[in-house]
Amino acid sequence: MEKNNKSRSTTMNGLPWILPAFVFVAGLIYYSIFYTFKLSTLDWNGLDPIQTSVGMSNYGKAFSDWIFWKAIKNTVVFFLITFLIQNFLGFIFAAILHSNVKLATLHKCLIFIPTILAPATMAPVFRLLFSPQGMLQDLSDTLHLGITVDWLAQPNAALYILMIVTIWQFTGMSFILYYAAMSQIDKEMLEASHLEGAGLFRTLWSIVLPNCKSTTVSLAMLGIIGSLKTFDVPYLITTGGPNHATEFLGTYIFRQGIRQSHLGYAAAISVLLLILAICGAILINRMNKGDEK
Amino acid sequence: MFETRSLRSKIVLQIVLLILTIPYAIPLVQMFLGSLGGTGFLNYKAVWDTGVVPIYFRNSLIISSGVIVLVYIFSMTAGFGFAKLRIFGKEVFFWLILVALTLPEVILLSPLFVTFQKLHMFNTFWAVILPTAALQLPFTILLARNFNNGIPNQLIEAARIDGASVFSTFWYVILPLTRPIAASIIVLTLINSWNTYLLPLLFLQSPNMQTVTLLPQYFQGEFTNDQTKILAAAVLTAIPVIIVYLFMQKSFEKGMSAGALK
Repeated sequence: MEKNNKSRSTTMNGLPWILPAFVFVAGLIYYSIFYTFKLSTLDWNGLDPIQTSVGMSNYGKAFSDWIFWKAIKNTVVFFLITFLIQNFLGFIFAAILHSNVKLATLHKCLIFIPTILAPATMAPVFRLLFSPQGMLQDLSDTLHLGITVDWLAQPNAALYILMIVTIWQFTGMSFILYYAAMSQIDKEMLEASHLEGAGLFRTLWSIVLPNCKSTTVSLAMLGIIGSLKTFDVPYLITTGGPNHATEFLGTYIFRQGIRQSHLGYAAAISVLLLILAICGAILINRMNKGDEK
Repeated sequence: MFETRSLRSKIVLQIVLLILTIPYAIPLVQMFLGSLGGTGFLNYKAVWDTGVVPIYFRNSLIISSGVIVLVYIFSMTAGFGFAKLRIFGKEVFFWLILVALTLPEVILLSPLFVTFQKLHMFNTFWAVILPTAALQLPFTILLARNFNNGIPNQLIEAARIDGASVFSTFWYVILPLTRPIAASIIVLTLINSWNTYLLPLLFLQSPNMQTVTLLPQYFQGEFTNDQTKILAAAVLTAIPVIIVYLFMQKSFEKGMSAGALK
């Protein structure tokens, strides 16, 4: 393109408008991704001038590492359970607050505040709450339930505690989204369903829930990506323990790469995590498009 | 949604709501009561007297402002460009940015760790601001582009016929019209950058550079695990966030949910 048609097409050329953002994002992120690929073929502690190339063996190591698989399993279980409960609660809250209830704003604020507080701020609170010195223990003692609250120390219970923390944190998100989706539903349709004699739960299940489908898909997407990204909550509350019972890919990468200086191995797990994250995004996107038709 | 015509159903619904909400208040109550254990309100005084709380707040404020400025400028210009301007290979650029949408920040750790060491960027705010903004941008650019798509082309045509340059079109037409999404982007970025933990943990080593998310750790060292003071610090950290939220409820709710609503 020469200068002859300068007047219109070059004044509307948008490249300068996107280029700074593109260079910034792509530069930093793709640089890091390629660097991670390179690191994943090394056995290196990050400081040593000697970098030993080990080919793909870090990946082989990951596939035969039980902690890696434990982290994957935790992520899947964590996603399924938090997704179901958090969205069920968010849905119910949205339905109730769409009815005529008193003090709706107060309740809404209480549910939403957890989503804006940093997990780092709340972590000490949860460590206390689920310890024998916390409120739950006092409650159990008052009611003479005879329960000792030390669940964070128990491998079987700790993961569920982290799920409770996450559900506590993100119900507000599900609630707000379902609340917005429900405002769009045609009132006459609900009225008709009521006149047909459909009960309350029948209406919620057969009319309201299907109408909120795109919201549920969005929440599934956020949930999958969020589960893969999980770091703050397990790192701060259980540090992945006891005995890796609450290990996630993020905490394991941190443990290997930063704490133990196995940068190559951490990078290999990072690459696997990246592949999982992209697969998750594609999968959900497909599901969404398949349904819209 | 629910039938609330009879008094009985009204009361039942109110009680169900109350029972469901109580668990959400428990951690907040625990935080507050826990912070008053031992020496009561003197815990707050002890925490305040260390003098670090305002410093950590200032640092978080600097970092959040930096991230917001970068994210705002890049999202607004790129959102406009992607939606309204002619660009060769536009879709390719857009998809390359969008792929980064799902990127977990922990993946960036090792490369940034090594690179920042080489560039002597350890212990600078840039080491947190730059990656945080880069991770936030794919999402906010998507939001800004989608919003720009909804602005009628005729408006831009009209401005052009009146002789406006691309820049004045952007400044006088696009920026005023995109205020709602800009507000959402700013709030969302504020929450995410204020709450970021991993990057400051790794890259800000000296105590006078650290952020509010690192306060609990500081007090664990300072008060040798005196829970009550750590919780007092947590309350002091949470209160400003809650107050800002209460004053701007609508913007916060919109900002947090902006991405999932198409």
